[in-house]
Amino acid sequence: MSEKILTVKNLKKSYGKLDVLTDIDFELEKGEVVCVIGPSGSGKSTMLRCLNMLELPDGGQIMLRDNEIFGDGKPKDLDVLRREVGMVFQQFNLFPHMTAEENVSIAQKKVRNRKTEFCRERSTELLTKVGLADKIGEYPDRLSGGQQQRVAIARALAMDPEIMLFDEVTSALDPELVKGVLDVMRELADGGMTMVCVTHEMNFAREVAHRVVFMDGGVVVEQGDPDDVLGNPQQERTKQFLGLVLDH
Amino acid sequence: MNEFFNTFFDFTFMTDNFGLVLEGFWVTIKLSLVGGFFALIFGLILAVLRQLPGKTLAPVRWLAIAYIDALRGIPLLLVILLLSSGMATLASEGTIPREIGIPQWFGESDPFWYGVIALTLTYGAYMAEVYRAGIEAVPRGQMEAARSLGMSHGQAMRYIIVPQAIRKVVPPLLNDFIALMKDTALISTIGLIETVQTGRDLYSEFFNPSGYTVGAFLFLIVTIPLARLVDWQIKKQDEKFQRGIP
Repeated sequence: MSEKILTVKNLKKSYGKLDVLTDIDFELEKGEVVCVIGPSGSGKSTMLRCLNMLELPDGGQIMLRDNEIFGDGKPKDLDVLRREVGMVFQQFNLFPHMTAEENVSIAQKKVRNRKTEFCRERSTELLTKVGLADKIGEYPDRLSGGQQQRVAIARALAMDPEIMLFDEVTSALDPELVKGVLDVMRELADGGMTMVCVTHEMNFAREVAHRVVFMDGGVVVEQGDPDDVLGNPQQERTKQFLGLVLDH
Repeated sequence: MNEFFNTFFDFTFMTDNFGLVLEGFWVTIKLSLVGGFFALIFGLILAVLRQLPGKTLAPVRWLAIAYIDALRGIPLLLVILLLSSGMATLASEGTIPREIGIPQWFGESDPFWYGVIALTLTYGAYMAEVYRAGIEAVPRGQMEAARSLGMSHGQAMRYIIVPQAIRKVVPPLLNDFIALMKDTALISTIGLIETVQTGRDLYSEFFNPSGYTVGAFLFLIVTIPLARLVDWQIKKQDEKFQRGIP
């Protein structure tokens, strides 16, 4: 497990005078699960969104394998990037005018040009995998938040991405629905999926992540083995943050 | 009082000439449907052009905005007059072919087609603004989700954004259609024999305004149910958004 799949160098992003990201360096190996933690406003979501250019960085370089995806201040192969990188959002963002099955099928059909029949089978298979075999024909407004989020995961997986990005995917859920979503993510990680998860679920980070990255003030403050970063942090800021979130 | 009624509601005159006004009203209906249909399509095209992303497409956006601003700011009557006289002049000079300059397609008269074009140009601009409001009301996350799945901007608009936007704008579009239908009366000024012009013909021939009254009634028979339909649609949408609240 040492094949580098994503390399980020000197990533910068600012909104006007506010620097959100300052010189972020970040590497991802195939099959690696990285959890990004940090206080709100630390830039972790922005970093994740820069990884598939939902936010355009101001500077730095992003490489997907050997392809430069972003460099010299410009995005390059946006379509390649977005096809290879799946994203799951805090607010699910399911398409409300489509059933669960159609949500999972639409991009396969229009982007991957797959046959309708194939899409339907694949969608059924994925929805079954995330535990929603009985909800295939339901519209999103008939599903709970947890179920919607699992449809969203299936939708991203349907594109057969190499990397999955998770942006605080359990933060908008009622507490009793969190486990179902985390279980799906755990299963994905066990299956060897490369994942970057911005999360507040410290237990999930401890148990599932291969590496934990702590961000604050737009920089990576500390990163490493979950037990080290979460159990024996070296930096003062990390200690403070963990003191606040792990205390209860 | 009696005099008043005899002037505006001369029942004998109204029944005698009902068929004639109805014939004019049929032209109004045809004009509204054809003009409305093209305005709906043209408006959507304008709205989508206005939402194109990126720096390179900025000139297209500006053109769309300039067009919408201009046509919303010019009286429809002026558009009708400009268009009919302009096209007729160009055709008589031979600059454009006669079949286009003086259109008489599908057995309809040239004022009818000038009317259709003028309504499309003006109401396309109005409806573009309605569509825009609908497109902007679709949460940002929808576009993000679509793009993150690898869809192009165009695919995301076509399959994700516009279908949701259209559901939201059915009531205001219907309102625009009611306004469009009433504005077809302006096309009588270039000689189209529709509802209003029929009433005017009757008035100048018999010095009796009751023909206008028939026309007004015919309009109301269509516009009032349409207005109720708009209310019903809005109520239906509100209920959907408020599901679960007693």
